[in-house]
Amino acid sequence: MRMATSSPARPVPGLFRTRRGRVILENLTAYTFLFPAGLIIFLFGIFPVAFALYVSLHRWRRLPERYTGIDNYVRALDDLAYVFFFWLAAAALIYALVLLVQFWKSTRGQSRSLALLLPGIANGIAILLVVRWFFTALPVVLDIPQRLLGQERVPGIFISELVASFQMPEVVAAANLALLMTVAGAALSYLLSRWLRVGEAGASLMRPTIATLLAGLGIIGLEFVTRSVSLAVAEAQAAGESMPLWTQILLISVGAALLVAAYALWTRAAREHDDRVFVLKVLATVALIAGGYLLVAELPRALDNADRNMLQSYSVTVMFVIGTVPFQLAIGLGLAYLLFQNIKGKAFFRMVYFLPYITPFVATSVVFKILFSHRPTSLANVILTSLGLSPQNWLLEPRGIFTLIFGPQLPDILAGPSLALVVIMLYTVWTYIGYDTVIFLAGLVNIPGELYEAARIDGASGWQLFRHITLPLLSPTTYFLSLIAIIGTFQAFTQIWVMRTPGSARSVDTVSVYIYETVRTTDPNMGYGSAMAFVLFVIILLLTFFQNRISESRVFYG
Amino acid sequence: MAEGARPLESAAGAQIATGSPARRPFSWLTFLAYVVLILGVVQAVLPFLWMISTSFMTLSEVNFGYVLPGALRFENYLLAWEKANFGLFMWNSVRITAITVAGQLLFCIPAAYAFARMNFYGKSVLFTAVLSTLMIPEVAKFIPNYLTVIWLGRLSNSLLGFGWINNWPALTVPFMASAFTIFLLRQFFAQIPEDLWDAARIDGAGHLRFLVSVVVPLSKAPIMTTVTFAFIGSWNALLWPLLVTQTDDWRPVAVGLTKFVSSDAPSDFHLQMAASVMMIIPILIVYFFTQRQFTEGIASSGLKG
Repeated sequence: MRMATSSPARPVPGLFRTRRGRVILENLTAYTFLFPAGLIIFLFGIFPVAFALYVSLHRWRRLPERYTGIDNYVRALDDLAYVFFFWLAAAALIYALVLLVQFWKSTRGQSRSLALLLPGIANGIAILLVVRWFFTALPVVLDIPQRLLGQERVPGIFISELVASFQMPEVVAAANLALLMTVAGAALSYLLSRWLRVGEAGASLMRPTIATLLAGLGIIGLEFVTRSVSLAVAEAQAAGESMPLWTQILLISVGAALLVAAYALWTRAAREHDDRVFVLKVLATVALIAGGYLLVAELPRALDNADRNMLQSYSVTVMFVIGTVPFQLAIGLGLAYLLFQNIKGKAFFRMVYFLPYITPFVATSVVFKILFSHRPTSLANVILTSLGLSPQNWLLEPRGIFTLIFGPQLPDILAGPSLALVVIMLYTVWTYIGYDTVIFLAGLVNIPGELYEAARIDGASGWQLFRHITLPLLSPTTYFLSLIAIIGTFQAFTQIWVMRTPGSARSVDTVSVYIYETVRTTDPNMGYGSAMAFVLFVIILLLTFFQNRISESRVFYG
Repeated sequence: MAEGARPLESAAGAQIATGSPARRPFSWLTFLAYVVLILGVVQAVLPFLWMISTSFMTLSEVNFGYVLPGALRFENYLLAWEKANFGLFMWNSVRITAITVAGQLLFCIPAAYAFARMNFYGKSVLFTAVLSTLMIPEVAKFIPNYLTVIWLGRLSNSLLGFGWINNWPALTVPFMASAFTIFLLRQFFAQIPEDLWDAARIDGAGHLRFLVSVVVPLSKAPIMTTVTFAFIGSWNALLWPLLVTQTDDWRPVAVGLTKFVSSDAPSDFHLQMAASVMMIIPILIVYFFTQRQFTEGIASSGLKG
């Protein structure tokens, strides 16, 4: 649009002098500007997700060996692996359906707009075919270094190998198919958007394209699950055992679905007014009990042969979240609220609070490591002895904190986080308080002052102001911070890596640390590590999604 | 992504509205508020004070649990510097940071400009794709990226004669473009008045000229923020450098300190503290000089570096 209003004074090359030519020039310039950053972000930011999935489906120690299907996941999750992939496929299909319904609603039943479904499907299939081409070529390309091992080093041999691997017959066939579909999709989109005179064809094409893409992935996933299950069942039968995998998948899925339904019914009940509240709540409770029973009965059986160390790392991570996030948020909010009052030296306080967050985690972790060392003269132990308590092993202590307080007769389930983990949690809270304070302060500043004025005139007390104005209006910030904190905890690495000792055993290893260990040993296992990383990735996505949904009803976006 | 992201402009207005009259009589509540705030300062600063104090002690003073050193032993710093080979690690960190920052500026500024001020096909899809990479956690990426870097290293070894592992490319190239930087710069570039662009066009400037001679000089503040974030990111990073370096040639200071603490001098606590202080000092200097941009960068974007 800008182009039409002001014409450039500088002579442009003949080809680009027309209006269309200038649009093409602008497109070319923009893509040139984007290319380097786009390439790096694609290669190291988007591609790794697909690559992790690819690696995880192989026996891949230091180097790629062979395709093993779901085996790495079964090693980590036992039978739950089948459920995991079944859910992934189902989720893709369900989301595709949701997108199609949204698309149907957006067309308002007009058959002309509905025709856009066609190029959308074509584009979706085209993307799938391009991905297929990419992953047909990938093993051949990845194998180049091995093929070069025995050969003499000639300059350019790598490039010729690279070109050769893209000229393999099956790769070329995949490329041709992908190219054909891409051209067909582009042509269809162009023609239809001209014919329909849809201004923003790109936006309305998005939904059907992504829906097709997801549906395709979902069907591939379902096929993969079915194949893996029948393989496992056949293997079990050959060994003379029975393996009711489908029953297990069904039971666990129904159990989880019931839990979600219970949550949905309960929130629904909160919005109803009359007798239906009672009915809905009863239904929700029934669903909760039934779903919970199914899961409690089935999950341990499904996880029977799962990787114990991995399961422990998940329980460590969950304890870590529970032991850090609420505390750091509460302290951060408290300090921010005090700073928000008429306080002198606000900038100074803010600067000092921020110090633990900006200083390198490695350096401050070393400080905490020494502060909480097991020597009788470490600061932590000096304080304990001066209070009349016995000195502790701190970072060397694998026993649970509640066991230490209440004695060894406590059952293992109630032992709580190990003392070593508690020290690391303390450190984590210490580093994040300042960050939370600064973000909360920014949120507080955005609450309009008139609201407080009006409430004061109505005679609200300080606590009432805080409870009924500050807290609800601050909820987007709180939501954002808790999300960042939870995701950050699932990824916590530096402080644990520095502070972990052989003495604390595995009691401080979160999921990230455990995954890192499988890769960085003398005998690395890339395939297994990738499988665990992919599962963690899905869990974090799921957390983000659920937290989004839950906060939609709770968060007040003022 | 950034739900907490709101401009800070309303800050002054809101405070005038909420603030009470300038002079208030002494109140116990205010006094209590100060006490709590100062307690907050104490908990934030105490580990740092202890670290500095310990870094000047002798080993036996540390082992006896002294709080203050008998004399300021500056030679601890020299000893730690030598023993931990800190000169090399510091120099490595500086080199890595410089290369990363240069790459970020070179690649992210044009990309941010294209997203902010140009019309091209597929803009919204591409921008969504770039932003979506912010949602992908580091744990999900480090194994495949490690494999990619190994493979690229072999490629560059046969083409250019240098590898990536144990070398600068593995430590810098993956960070030369960041979705966060592009987002931050785009927000700023989009606010530059349209009139400037019209004037530049009448003078015959194209997008590149406009970007280099108008947009970049106007955007010193956000570019400074970007540089600060990149600096802090590459100074603090541990997991990735640990993975892609097996020798000291390019190891950054974070890895160097970890190694010093765990294997070189596991019980020389005073030297460990001296080394930690030395690692913190450059960050503190940067923090004090760019504090405003830094804090506001975090507060308004809601994302850490």
